[in-house]
Amino acid sequence: MKKGTKANPLTMRKAAVILGCLVKKNVKTQYRRSALGICWTVLNPLLNMLVMAFVFSRLFGRSGITLDYPVYVLSGNIVFGFMRTATTTAMPGLVGNYDLITKTRTPYFVFPLGQVITSLVNFAFSLVALLTVMIIRIPAGVKFYWSGLLVLFPWLPSMFLFCLGLSLFLSVVYVRFRDIKHIYNVFLTLWMYLTPIFYSVEILHLPDKYALIMKLNPMYHYLLYFRNAISGVLPSWQTTLICYVVGCAAFGVGMLLYKVTKKKLIFYM
Amino acid sequence: MEEPLIEAKEVRMKFRLPAERIDNLKEYVIKRFHRRVQYVEYEVLKGVTLEVKRGESLGLIGRNGAGKSTLLRILAGIIEPTSGRVVTRGSMVPLLKLGAGFDMDATGRENVYLNGAMLGFTHREMRDRYENIVAFSELNKFMDTPLKNYSQGMLSRLGFAIAVDVRPDILLIDEILAVGDAPFRKKCAEKLGELKLSGTTFIIVSHSNEQIRRLCEKTIYLKEGAVAESGETERVVARYEEDCKGL
Repeated sequence: MKKGTKANPLTMRKAAVILGCLVKKNVKTQYRRSALGICWTVLNPLLNMLVMAFVFSRLFGRSGITLDYPVYVLSGNIVFGFMRTATTTAMPGLVGNYDLITKTRTPYFVFPLGQVITSLVNFAFSLVALLTVMIIRIPAGVKFYWSGLLVLFPWLPSMFLFCLGLSLFLSVVYVRFRDIKHIYNVFLTLWMYLTPIFYSVEILHLPDKYALIMKLNPMYHYLLYFRNAISGVLPSWQTTLICYVVGCAAFGVGMLLYKVTKKKLIFYM
Repeated sequence: MEEPLIEAKEVRMKFRLPAERIDNLKEYVIKRFHRRVQYVEYEVLKGVTLEVKRGESLGLIGRNGAGKSTLLRILAGIIEPTSGRVVTRGSMVPLLKLGAGFDMDATGRENVYLNGAMLGFTHREMRDRYENIVAFSELNKFMDTPLKNYSQGMLSRLGFAIAVDVRPDILLIDEILAVGDAPFRKKCAEKLGELKLSGTTFIIVSHSNEQIRRLCEKTIYLKEGAVAESGETERVVARYEEDCKGL
């Protein structure tokens, strides 16, 4: 006879099985109805980059950017895009799976987590796009630094934690307040423009006070690290530390809110 | 003496919800400002105690809103009671809705694995069951068709086929047995009888007294969140039928 347990706590194994299924399903269904299928995950950031590179290389000067401009824009775009897709798709994750949450014993967190992992997979595909552009731009002076790829490995977990924390937080808040979706969308636009995706902070010639505000933006640091890595510069220990502290803090806050509200969430769905 | 499979002691469930549904921040802030967020308390379960032994099945009857489904969800561990204690032993599968979590865009085959995952089975474990499930659902021609092209009856059949093939110690069932056409219903009833013979314990919420009589030895009659009568099925169902006549 098995030992008596309180309402059969879920094993982590079950959560992992569900997670695997969810991610597979998400990646597969994303571009199910299009002729090019999975190619879109690579094409999408590529086309985006073309538009941005075309528009902004004329508008803003390229001064202060040592990295090749298309590579600069694309790298900014895919890193910010990872965060954006992760959080916007994870936000309705709890509400959208109402049926599963109220009718089966599924741990809630697998739904936002599944979306963040799906975005991570998409991010990996966009890296292919980045690589393609870098190869195309070799004649324009782009160099490959294989060491840079190695430096990316410690970056990824911090970025992942940041996205996951934010996603958990948003998905829980969304259960209670549905209009957070619209507020967050506006906020995302603002956030995007405040992040040096297609410009560099240096060329803005900001007074110190404003430069400081720019640096309060976590995405600034994640981008800085990423671009350092692909241009063969070892990111400073301060940047690394900031990435991890912010990542862990975001995860901590998201998880805490989830734990605290977990029991009551079901009544608001 | 063998320990009971399920024990619930003095289970109470209170909901405290806003009187009107406020699901956006704007309204919440405005109402809060005017101090108009009011809460209403419902007591859905008022101290329910029950015990189910191995190989014994329990029926839950009562009128709509008596707290049957809430009790079932508490026993399943989906929601936690406000107070009281629930102890379950052995594997348990809650079947509160057929095909909960079916993905309409995915094919029947993919959904068998997905649904299996929701019930806690790995891909490999489901592969061994796959043939059986398909055979039972009689849907082998449609396994590569997306679920959105299935009829309601086909969906229920697939859901039921997956559920009964799982063979847990305890099966919680909420009003899902009236699915499909008559021959399929008969097949379901036979399958449940077979499961019962092999020692599965059922906890069934149903409005079909016939079904309760056939499958459950013990029955609890819930009335407004409290146990009105419990014990031998025959006696409890008779009492419930008596009560219903008086209305």
